[in-house]
Amino acid sequence: MKDLNLYTGKRIARRNDGSFLHGSGQYTDDLDPADMLHAAIIRSPVANGTLIGFDVADVPSTATVLGPDALAEHVVGDLPVVWKLGGQWQERTPLLDTHLRYVGQPIGIVVAASRALAEDAAEAVILDIVDLPIVVDAKEALAADAPLLYPDSNSNVLAAFEAGDTADHIEEVFAAADRTLLTTIHIGRVHGVPMENRGLVVVPSPSGSLTITTSTQTAHAVRDVVCEVLGKRQNAVRVVAPDVGGGFGLKDHVYEDEIMTVIAAVVIGRPVKWIEDRNESFLTTTHARDEVHEVEVAFDFDGTLRGLRVDAVRNAGARFSIFGGGPLFAAFGVLPGPYKWDAIRGYGRLVATNTMSTGAYRGFGQTQAALVRERAVDLVAEALGRDPIDLRVQNMIRPEELPYGTRTFIEYDSGDYPSAALRAAELIMEPAWPEDGKVRGVGYCCYVQMTGIGNSDTNRAIGLDIGGFETADVRLEPDGTVRVATGVSPHGQGLETTIPQLVADELGVNIDDVELIWGDTETTPYSAYGTAASRSIALGGGSAVLASQKVAEQIRQVAGTMLEASPDDIRLTNGAATVAGTNVSVLIRDVAKRASQGFGMPEGVGPGLHARHAYDPTSATFSYATHACRVAVDVATGEVVVEDYVVVNDCGVMVNPTIIEGQIHGGVAQGLGAALMEEVLYDKNGQPLSSTMLDYQVPVSASIPDIRIEHMETPSPFTPGGMKGMGEGGTNGAYACVVNAVMAALPDVDNSTLHTPLTPARVWEAAQKKKQLD
Amino acid sequence: MTSERTIEMNVNGRDYSLRCEPRRLLSEALREDCRLTGTHVGCEQGSCGACTVIVDGRAQRSCLMLAVQADGSNIETIEGVGADSETGHPVQIAMHQAHGLQCGFCTAGIVMSLVHAHRSGISRQDVTKEVLNGHLCRCTGYVNIRQAIDAAWVELEDNE
Repeated sequence: MKDLNLYTGKRIARRNDGSFLHGSGQYTDDLDPADMLHAAIIRSPVANGTLIGFDVADVPSTATVLGPDALAEHVVGDLPVVWKLGGQWQERTPLLDTHLRYVGQPIGIVVAASRALAEDAAEAVILDIVDLPIVVDAKEALAADAPLLYPDSNSNVLAAFEAGDTADHIEEVFAAADRTLLTTIHIGRVHGVPMENRGLVVVPSPSGSLTITTSTQTAHAVRDVVCEVLGKRQNAVRVVAPDVGGGFGLKDHVYEDEIMTVIAAVVIGRPVKWIEDRNESFLTTTHARDEVHEVEVAFDFDGTLRGLRVDAVRNAGARFSIFGGGPLFAAFGVLPGPYKWDAIRGYGRLVATNTMSTGAYRGFGQTQAALVRERAVDLVAEALGRDPIDLRVQNMIRPEELPYGTRTFIEYDSGDYPSAALRAAELIMEPAWPEDGKVRGVGYCCYVQMTGIGNSDTNRAIGLDIGGFETADVRLEPDGTVRVATGVSPHGQGLETTIPQLVADELGVNIDDVELIWGDTETTPYSAYGTAASRSIALGGGSAVLASQKVAEQIRQVAGTMLEASPDDIRLTNGAATVAGTNVSVLIRDVAKRASQGFGMPEGVGPGLHARHAYDPTSATFSYATHACRVAVDVATGEVVVEDYVVVNDCGVMVNPTIIEGQIHGGVAQGLGAALMEEVLYDKNGQPLSSTMLDYQVPVSASIPDIRIEHMETPSPFTPGGMKGMGEGGTNGAYACVVNAVMAALPDVDNSTLHTPLTPARVWEAAQKKKQLD
Repeated sequence: MTSERTIEMNVNGRDYSLRCEPRRLLSEALREDCRLTGTHVGCEQGSCGACTVIVDGRAQRSCLMLAVQADGSNIETIEGVGADSETGHPVQIAMHQAHGLQCGFCTAGIVMSLVHAHRSGISRQDVTKEVLNGHLCRCTGYVNIRQAIDAAWVELEDNE
């Protein structure tokens, strides 16, 4: 459809960097409306207990306190869980509860003239709590005599489900295979740690409507839940996402403390700001993972992979987060990876404990799936004395076999998995290893990532109660300025640049004339996700392409009338509509000017140049990559250094390779962090041990090597424009890749059980335990 | 609570006279009293570096300094950097060209540290191996920030 490709695929520098580089970005905490008050949250100091007293006698009169009873007057419903699995009884979670189930659980809110005064007042509130027995570990919570998080229920299992092949089929495949291997993998609890903490500013109007500016990935979903739990009409609540300092899945829903802030602004009738501090973030912004996988792999002596069977327990925390057990469900879906299997089966249990909820985080289970599978494949290679890449390629789905249906009911679209693997292996082996006596290893991870998830009915069929479409609204202002309103909501991904790249090419205009409008329920089309789940370029971009194509057709029609030519002969390039093969043309801005007044419009067009397209995809898209890295391990201290890192990546048509590489870099850093250093820990009393950036180690520059990236480009057969999502891929690949490299560096070490992160202490300890010879 | 004090600061060439409690952090005074919100607060503990500003010629975490300690100081924040040039400071230009930022929240602090190092003639190697490790960035994996450092330091090193 495009007449010229000037922008798509080009390394266009980001268009919105200037405000961040000069300090004029507008994040939530930068807002300062007149008469604003500041809030602090009163939180549970215990991991399990019953609140029997909430004494505000010592609170100074300059502060307003809203405790559980005062807040309850404004709440009409509990928080929804939008992903429902088989056997799941918790379909809503308590917004207010006098049963305190984790440290940090919001109890009430204090509002005062400054944050410092609000915190002073919060300290003056006296809580009377009856302690209850505590369980922190998910496996311990499964024990028959474990304390029950929900005493009305007879166990701590919130949901249990099966995925993939039947038990009978997997038994047959395992029985027929030459050999099987068993391994246990402990996947540590992590935190996404966006650099900007959560927060919001709520401005009530005299008419009773509210404007909520909040650090979110998804303004529309925030509005959905605020209105649902507070019983408000959606036309009376406007939610705005300003500049957002990172999300990584943690800001893809609204939290209890945020709703308390909304209530406080309603009660007091003045603007109220609440900004989470870092300590609160570590305690009460959703954690992720915390899983134990019992993994069994079946294979033949010739290296053929036969079956993979996983029994996984995920620590759900004190209550389901909004996405419930979704991450474990998604993990099982992509368990097969790029390989052919005769059978795959997952059995998953989500278990309640006295810890913060685990929820969505970059990868959404796909990161764990990659670790489980790629560890299993490495163990097979080791058992057979085979090269790990050679064994992988032997079992890979070949390009000519795509589209390919997996044992987990997913259909992969397009690509060349073996070429990526072979190229990555070649690249990582190129540099000679230093001869300094250090122990080294090379690790690999080959994955296929489900991205651009939809369509809406498929979501519903797998229990995910939100629509999978995205909508774009494209219009030309009378002066020819193009404004694209989208439901996706960038917070670092560069969509302010990439979506206009796509639109400018479809319309044949200069990218400087295209503006993206996002993150405001008042001005953007509805989106259930916002920006999450590696969907934005495939679906936000795809819908923008489709809406732009409609507008391009309108321009051709109007220009055809103006130039007395057939619309089919009109070419849109460089800001002009030109009759093909001639120099007869009209500027697109002059077409816009005319159309905006409705003068001489052709039949069926305008007035105005405007189109909206809701794009509900026929299928998800599947990007893939092979990651390879080399590590050096100091066996005396357990320290691991990642020395070299290679990614061969295919995410379909690339809109902007520089931005894609930036996403890969950041994803790799997060995957590497989870592999080596990041872990949220609690003591046995449920007291958090990782509540600052000193206790929870986020990678610094010295942790991350330079990353060599090569691209492959197999277009998606589904997405208009051919793009596939990719934002989470770096994390998915790096976690397993780094773990595999460490284990490869320690071939004599007992690897039947693995605990991530592989901290120096764990590596040192593991290195003391040698393999038992068969 | 102790009574408020008056402090005088010059920020980005402009004089400010503020009334604030002794416990008020410099980061709070800059953001809330001077309304210079380009300085971001990520941890209030000195771990992340997002709030870095230049105080009397030294790069400082503004969350680890009380506003009263800055009484009489000359302070430079992100709003003042490169403001005298059409294109910005070489560090700002390089960060943009190398795609050294994504969500932008940590960016101001990193730019302030790098600008300070650039002016101080700290070597590229020391900036990459030492200075940058004093900052946390969750989006970029630091790879492109190191590229930006390389680019911004080329001119400096050519002059030596």
